[in-house]
Parts: sequence; structure tokens; C-alpha cells
Amino acid sequence: MTKEERLKKRHRAEKRFRFYGLTSIFVALLFVVILVQNIFSKGSSAFKKTVITTEVFFDQELLEIQNGASQEEIMEADFYDIMIENLIKAYPAKDRDEEDELLKLFSGDAEIEIKKAFLNENNLIGKTITLDLTASDDIDQLHKGNYPRDLPEERRRISDFQLVIYDYFVENKKISKNFNNYFFNNGDSRDPELAGIGGALVGSFYSILICLLLAFPVAVLASIYLEEFAPKNKITDFIEININNLAAVPSIVYGLLALQILLATIQLPRSTPLVAGITLALMTLPRIIIPCRASLKAVPPSIREGALAVGASKFQSVFHHVVPLALPGTLSGTIIGLAQALGETAPLILIGMVAFVVDIPSSPVDPSSSLPVQVYLWSESAERGFVEKTSATIMMLLSFLIVMNFIAVYLRQKFEKRWN
Amino acid sequence: MSNIKIKSKNLNVYYGDKQALFDVNLDLNEKEVTALIGPSGCGKSTFIRCINRMNDVIDICKVTGNIEMDGMNINDKDLDVVSLRERVGMVFQKPNPFPKSIYDNISYGPKIHGKGETKSELDQIVENSLKKSALWEEVKDRLDEPGTSLSGGQQQRLCIARAISVNPEVILMDEPCSALDPIATAKIEELIDELKKTYTIVIVTHSMAQAVRVSQKTGFFHLGKLIEVGKTEKIFKNPDNKMTQDYITGRFG
Repeated sequence: MTKEERLKKRHRAEKRFRFYGLTSIFVALLFVVILVQNIFSKGSSAFKKTVITTEVFFDQELLEIQNGASQEEIMEADFYDIMIENLIKAYPAKDRDEEDELLKLFSGDAEIEIKKAFLNENNLIGKTITLDLTASDDIDQLHKGNYPRDLPEERRRISDFQLVIYDYFVENKKISKNFNNYFFNNGDSRDPELAGIGGALVGSFYSILICLLLAFPVAVLASIYLEEFAPKNKITDFIEININNLAAVPSIVYGLLALQILLATIQLPRSTPLVAGITLALMTLPRIIIPCRASLKAVPPSIREGALAVGASKFQSVFHHVVPLALPGTLSGTIIGLAQALGETAPLILIGMVAFVVDIPSSPVDPSSSLPVQVYLWSESAERGFVEKTSATIMMLLSFLIVMNFIAVYLRQKFEKRWN
Repeated sequence: MSNIKIKSKNLNVYYGDKQALFDVNLDLNEKEVTALIGPSGCGKSTFIRCINRMNDVIDICKVTGNIEMDGMNINDKDLDVVSLRERVGMVFQKPNPFPKSIYDNISYGPKIHGKGETKSELDQIVENSLKKSALWEEVKDRLDEPGTSLSGGQQQRLCIARAISVNPEVILMDEPCSALDPIATAKIEELIDELKKTYTIVIVTHSMAQAVRVSQKTGFFHLGKLIEVGKTEKIFKNPDNKMTQDYITGRFG
């Protein structure tokens, strides 16, 4: 082989390698785009809900309360008749069957929505107001275009007559899309139009908070001890290997552990953020210790020696100099560990967070769901409305993860000090 | 002849199974500069790290024999290393200022030792230390800038200022100029000349010329043994040992 040939070969090898690299990046990006596009196209409609504009007349006779009634009286009053009387006026129905079909176009919470409107504004008796009432899931999906209306009637959830009413609503501009406050404020529900991630958000928040409170101090102190103070011998080697191994243990194993120890032995309340937080803390602990030790290790020994040489004690050299320098790396490692914990599903399923919980937890010991478990639950539901809710929940989860990772990167870049 | 400040008797140092120093007997005179020369890995640094017990940091390191400062056994297990290091400062090969402000770099030592209770006392210590290390004029207007923003030579003088801020009796210098350019080196050497009026100084160096310029006494180490020690003038003009002769004339090392 001549010199030129060899040179050409080397250049070809480099070009080939660049090509492989570019291809890999392109393929990776393609997958990300497909994933994001899929989730967005399915999920974005969940942030809007379909409402039917309805006139509501508060008839004194049907309500059985007076103007100026107290809050409690209103809460106890029966708004069912008011609801029925007003809703059937939304469309000129001919008989009882048609009225029933008409009523099915509204969500199961129509009565509560009317009551809330009454509570917000005083002295509505004898008056008529215009309300945007949430439509049922079927109408919601139809209006969003997620529901094929050209199927034969027996294969549709919406009857031909309901389609006629729907078209009448559309024609008279009585149907519109509003911001879906239910999606953020409500807990889970059997009715997709009423289901929300409020409970899951609060549950996840409590779980991650408990996870942070437990895992962060333990992990940081363990790392500092192991990295700075512990003698280097077989025992610490053994501990180190085990920490690395624990970080790779499948998360469901931590779920089993929690099931046996936290639920069966200590008898903590099941399905609660408390147990979830402890379980996630166990799981996150090694995942924080590893980056934490790495960032302690990255502090140059010259800083420690500099401190020791002016007469700082070991403790002072570590806490005055090494730890502050390692803090950005430690914090970003912690946030990434928490982000992993936030997305963790398997251990939470084992400790019973798959339970159907309607109420939004008011404390960490109330039964609750969490975001990833909510995704899991909804993805198994048959109703069409849950498809968009699943994707929208994933969007929420992903945006939290992106924000957390962004904070981690920001902290590292902003506060990491350079030496020499 | 000045007083002996530090006296080592049959000092042996082991790193695990490897012996790094063999029966070193070396006296360091008070308010004098002692230079330690020798090829890399000969034990010069190991020796000075025995004086402020810096070898304690290394788990596998074991020191036997005696090393005394003013009659106090440095190698005593019960000795408080913190107060020892308050009396024996150290400057390292690579400038290692803390990634903090210039002011904090110097005030840190006095603070942890409880010297300078008030802000004005601390200010005074910082100013004096910087003046003694000939850095004051260059940095007096930017004391709150990070120490790492200074040039290499300034950083090293900052480290010297940090070492003298706690008012030690001995300053150990481990190749303090090896990372510096000739101009910065000249400044440090000038400074050492000035500092020896107040402090006992031990300097490890690879530069024969530097040893000649700054020191009154020189010790030559080879393979962990102290081969020869004596007045600098004598060592460089008329050494007793053939190995010393070979080393200073550049025949090996």
C-alpha cells in the first residue's frame, strides 16, 4: 500500500465514522419526534372541554329555599329538579325518551355545576342565568373530532337522535370549548369528562417531597462520610459495591420490600403518599449517593490540602471547602434522582396506589394516586375520553421532568466553580 | 550559628510496603532557608510533609522515628495536628487558592483559629499578610474578587499570604515555583529572602540555581536517603559525596 492509499483509507475511515454518528443522532431524534408528536396529537385536546351553553331558571317552587338562604341551606337543597327542568329546554324534545337522550348529553355533574353557580351569585331565585355546562364524554369526543360519526348507529355510543341534537347545538352556537379546569382540579372519576389529575398531582407532590426529605440528607451524609471520612478497607469497598448494585435493582423489588415491611409489618396505611415516599426514597438513595460521591471526588485534593495546611480540621476542610464545591453536582444529582422517582410506577402499583381514588388527598396519609400510576390506570380504560387524558397526563409528567432536568443543568452550570 | 528549630532523628516513612524514607537525620535552623534537592521520587516532599503531618491524609502512610520542633515530638500520636499546622504552614507545588474571594482566602485561617475577633482585626491581618507576601499593592482594590482570577504567580503569593496569615513559625514550600514563569519565580524568591527574617523556611526545589539563590543550607536526597547536608555554599562548590557532585553537575537526575 502506498503512502497516498493509506492516507485515503484513513480519511475514508473518518468520514465513515462521522456518517455513522450522524445517522445515530438522526435516528434518535426521529424516535423522540415520533414520541412527542404522538403524545401531543393525542393529548393536547384534553386541555379543553366541551361545554353546552344552557339557560337556567331558578324556580322558587322547585328549589324550596328562599333568597338569602345560608350556605348550608343551599348545599343541602335539592337542585335535581331544577337541573332536569332546565336541561330539557335546551332542545325542543317531543317525548320522554327524547328528553332522556337529551339529558345524556350533559355530564353527570350538571346538578353540581348549577348549584355552584347558584352559590357564587346570591339571590338568583326567580332569575335566569346562562351557564356553560360540561358536556358528556361522548359529546366531548364528538365535538373534538375524535369520534367517527359515520359508523352505523348500533356501533356508535351516540344515537342518531343525539346527533341531531348535537347538530342543532352547533347550528345555534350553543356548544363550545373551554379551558378544562376539571383536568387540573378534579380527582379521578369513572366519567372521563370529569376525571382530572388533581389527586395524582397532589399525591405525586407529597410522595416526592417525602422522598426528598428522607433521601437527600441520608444520601448526602452517607456520601460525605464514605468519600471523605471512611477508611478505605474491605468493608467500605463492600458497601460501595452494594450501593452501585442497589442503584441497578429493578424498582419493583423496592415495591415488594415496601409491601412486606412498610405495609405488612409496620402496618402503614396503604395507597398513601407516605408509603410511596418512603419506597421511592429507598430506591432513590443509591441513585443520589452515586452522583454525590462523584462530585465530591471531583473536588481537587489540593483544596483539601490547602485547608488542612492552614490548620483546618478534617471536618472544617470538608464542610467549609469540599462540600460547598460539590454542592451543585450534588443538587443536580438529587434532582435527577427525584425526576426518576417521579416517573416511577412499578413500586407504587405494588403498594396499592392503583386504587381508584376520587378525593384529592389533603395529607400524605390519605389514599392517593400519582401521575405515572394515573397514566397506567387511564391507559387501561375503555372510554375514548381517557385516551386523550392519558396522553395529556404524560405531557404533564414529561414537562415536570424537563423542568427538573433543566433546573439540574442550570444549577450545575451556574454554581459550579472552576479552579485553576 | 542559629538555633535548631526542627530536628529529625532516624525518620522512616512507609507507603504500604514501600519504604519512602530511610533513617533521615536532618536539622533545620531557625530563621534560615533550608533547600532540599534531589531527583523526583527521592523523598524530599515526603520529608517536609512529615513536618506538618500532612502524610496523615494518606491512609497507608506510616511514619516511624522522631521529628521534633522546639523539643516537641511532632510524630506523637496524641499531638493535635490542628495546632501543629497552625505553627507550620505549607505552600504547595501548584497554587491552590480556595475558590473564594482573595479576602476570604486569607481570613479563613485566622478565623478558624479564633485570631482576629473583629472585622477590623481581620482586615488588619489580611492587609499585613498580603503586604508580607508582596501582593498588597496588586490586589488591594479587588479583595472581593475570586482568588482563582489572579495569575499563577499572584496565586502562589496569595497562598504564601494564606500560610503566613495564621502567623506560623515554619513555612514549608513544596516546589513553589515549578508552575511559574521566571519573572513570577524571581518575585517568590525575593519574597522568601524577606520572609526568612521572620520564619523558618524549608523549600523543596528542582532548580539548583534556586537552591543556591535562596537557601543557607541544602540537603541532597536520593532514593529516600539523605545523602549529604551542609551549608549551601559548600554543597554546591565542594560536596563530600560523589553522588551529590554528579547530581548538581547534571550527570544524573
